[in-house]
Amino acid sequence: MNLLDRIYRVLERVSLWAVWAGGFALLLAAIMIVIEIVGRKIGGASLLGTTIQSFRVPGSDEYSGYVFAGATVWAYAYCLIHRSHIRIDALYNLFPQRVRAVLDVVGLALLGIYVVYLTERAWVVFIGTLEKGSKAATPQQTPLWLPQGVWVTGMTFFAIVTLFVLLYATVCLFSGRIGQVQALAGTMSVAEEVDEETRGVQEMKR
Amino acid sequence: MKAVIALFKAGSPWSIIIALLVLVLAAVPVGAVLGLLSIGLDEVYMRGRLVRAMGENTWEQQKNFLLIAIPMFILMGEIILRAGLARRMYEAVAGWLSWLPGGLMHANIASCSIFAATSGSSVATAATIGTVAYPEIENRKYNESLFLGSIAAGGTLGILIPPSINLILYGFITDTSVPELFLAGFLPGFLLSVLFLVIILIACLIRPEWGGEKPEVTWGDRFRSLPDLLPPLLLIVGVMGSIYGGIATPTEAAAVGVLFALLLAMWTRTLSIEMLKGAFESTMRITAMIMFIILAAVFLNFVLGFLGVTQALIKFIEDLGWSPLQTMIALVIFYLILGMFMETLSMMLTTVPVVFPLVVGMGYDPVWFGILVIVLMEAALITPPIGVNLYVVQGIRSRGGKFNDVAWGALPFVAMMIAMAFLLIAFPQIALWLPQSVY
Repeated sequence: MNLLDRIYRVLERVSLWAVWAGGFALLLAAIMIVIEIVGRKIGGASLLGTTIQSFRVPGSDEYSGYVFAGATVWAYAYCLIHRSHIRIDALYNLFPQRVRAVLDVVGLALLGIYVVYLTERAWVVFIGTLEKGSKAATPQQTPLWLPQGVWVTGMTFFAIVTLFVLLYATVCLFSGRIGQVQALAGTMSVAEEVDEETRGVQEMKR
Repeated sequence: MKAVIALFKAGSPWSIIIALLVLVLAAVPVGAVLGLLSIGLDEVYMRGRLVRAMGENTWEQQKNFLLIAIPMFILMGEIILRAGLARRMYEAVAGWLSWLPGGLMHANIASCSIFAATSGSSVATAATIGTVAYPEIENRKYNESLFLGSIAAGGTLGILIPPSINLILYGFITDTSVPELFLAGFLPGFLLSVLFLVIILIACLIRPEWGGEKPEVTWGDRFRSLPDLLPPLLLIVGVMGSIYGGIATPTEAAAVGVLFALLLAMWTRTLSIEMLKGAFESTMRITAMIMFIILAAVFLNFVLGFLGVTQALIKFIEDLGWSPLQTMIALVIFYLILGMFMETLSMMLTTVPVVFPLVVGMGYDPVWFGILVIVLMEAALITPPIGVNLYVVQGIRSRGGKFNDVAWGALPFVAMMIAMAFLLIAFPQIALWLPQSVY
């Protein structure tokens, strides 16, 4: 049990770092896009008698696409650990805690099947790219294995986390620790949801 | 996977629909249900057409340039949220509006609509303004129910007033121009805010004791508070201006917004590594949540399109012999009922792709329909039993109270939204005038 908990903490930590890195990359992509717009717009204008050369950031839209794909897949695991994947809980909330715990595990199992399937398809694409040495159909001719590598490992990490949480929650369910199942895989309570959504305002107060 | 496919092969279309409903109601993650359903249908009816292209498809969707606008606008909102502007903005708005019968409830609506223009999310809007405004109920003895209702309803303006994540999604799944959708959202958003103000005014003219005690505000206070309204206005002008000035696409405008938010946070001295980490966590959590379900919805739409579900629906409506207007009213009622039980994002992503071809086929404008759908989504956010904004506002009540207070308080605003939906049907120009005069 302790081992499971320790592994869980490590995965949680990794997913948190992934989200920080993803957010930071997104911020850099935003800055890159703005520089591109400025470069495109000031070209031809004249300042103090000299004409400003317009300049471009080659491939800013292409690279921000890679950043988006990488950051998003690497955030899936964080989203799972924070129990934020969308579930319809109109009926779920009417059940006693024990039934809900069973539904949590069933939901995780189905999610697991889907995610493993998706991850397998992602690997097929990635291996194809490696074999053919595919490059992006853009002037930059970016070798695609690089962004797709980030993407496929992110999907794999999500699959691993999903299967691990499924294992952990199943063990808890069968050893009767229903509260722990709820903490791992239950839907968010109203209080928790509000807490997540108002974190910005709360942080501000501190 | 084999078991799932076997289940599909065994079942008729009806058993598939029943299985879908059971899984959704059993609180299986919606993304997984839609994804597995697509894969199952594909194996049975399409001999793996979807599955063969699934990996490539996933990659293409996840780096889609239009969709990058979503995390960018979320990040912009999260940074603005942490820049500490909400409280001062609320107080400034309150100074200008609280003389009206209904006092601060007008400030709730107005600051929600301003805040909505810096954020694409209804939940964030309601949560932020709610946290700031809540203590005033006791301080100034407002009718708690109506006050809370005004926050829940005001928050829903977040998805109508641009930038709006939901409008981007609508544009994405129906191939409608997002800049035009954003423009079309302005006037209805403004009009709906006015309708909200009017209903508060009427309620408090009939029952003056609901309106609380009026705060003392001098003209000096009012003018001194004006600079607090400047940052959100600059942001709106900067972001929207760059789209309509032809300078930028929605994604580029969102990037400009992120940078502006960053500068604003520097100016209010709230920018720090810790603050950014918090903003990144929220942004990526919400982005992952949205993208996971979009991906599955894209798969499902591909399958449904191939199977001709939409054609079947169109034929069904034709056989009923309904006029376009009758069909539209039926759709409004359908969305109002569905909205009572379903979460808005999944509702939009699953129904719009099926309904959209039908509506456009009847001669309705795609941009106009987008706005109508969003107004109905707003109603879904505040209709019990499942209304996210009701829960959010309930969650803010640190002194506790019955959930029904919030639900009842929101009801007059639901009536205004329904009125707005019918105004849109009667006068489509409310939505279309602005985009048509620009494009």
